[in-house]
Amino acid sequence: MYGWIWRHLPGNAWVRAAISLVLVLAVVYVLFQYIFPWAEPLLPFGDVTVDNNGGASR
Amino acid sequence: MALAAGVIGELLITAGVVLGLFVVYSLWWTNVVADRVAAKKGDRVRDHWAHDDTPGRDFDAKDGIGFLHVPAMGRKFQVLIVKGTDAEELNKGVAGYYTKPVKAALPWAGHGNFTLAAHRDGHGAKFHKLNRLDKGDVAVVETKDEWYVYKVFNTLPQTSKYNVGAIEAIPKGSGRTKAGRYLTLTTCTPVYTSRYRLIVWAELIRTEKVDPERTLPPELR
Repeated sequence: MYGWIWRHLPGNAWVRAAISLVLVLAVVYVLFQYIFPWAEPLLPFGDVTVDNNGGASR
Repeated sequence: MALAAGVIGELLITAGVVLGLFVVYSLWWTNVVADRVAAKKGDRVRDHWAHDDTPGRDFDAKDGIGFLHVPAMGRKFQVLIVKGTDAEELNKGVAGYYTKPVKAALPWAGHGNFTLAAHRDGHGAKFHKLNRLDKGDVAVVETKDEWYVYKVFNTLPQTSKYNVGAIEAIPKGSGRTKAGRYLTLTTCTPVYTSRYRLIVWAELIRTEKVDPERTLPPELR
């Protein structure tokens, strides 16, 4: 999979490495900015209140 | 076949890396973001206090009603107190006072329980060290013109998340049976989970007027 991407990137090894780095950073950005904030409330790690219906309030 | 195995292997490695990044996000990045937001909100409250000469309590301020100081969690420990305990509020690196299931009594109320919740990990992790509090430790609530000094009289290291009694006006299980001016701090326990709740109960021992220099009360010096 990653080999396939590597082979299809343009330029020599240095250019490909640079493009790869940008792609990795873009993926990390999307994860931190959108995916993780979305996934977080689905996981029960952040509940700090006492509540009689549990889960409704975090 | 070898190709399929290779792709599956790469996907598994990717999943591992993503999970690792999620841990980094939860335990580090959310703190960075929350501390930044909390600092900005805190500054706004102090700025507001400095420029508002009208006497009286400032509990309508949407940025927060004051600060909680707990020397046992660090000499300079302070956290902004805002209304509500929804994730949206608490994720800003603040402590929220309960509006449900039992409404908190604000510190200046004649009697009742001022109940607060904050994150144990991530999003500022303001109550990360709440387990360090023990009987006799001091917690101070700072509002625009009053210091409210509380002393811890009991703790509950682990309780059910449904233990609503712990935040009632006369907290059940605290050992107190009469109405008083209580402060209750709640967070999740053990660390990195939300399985149980950790409760700390304190009661008001004195109040002190804030002077123009906002000199810290002796308990915080």
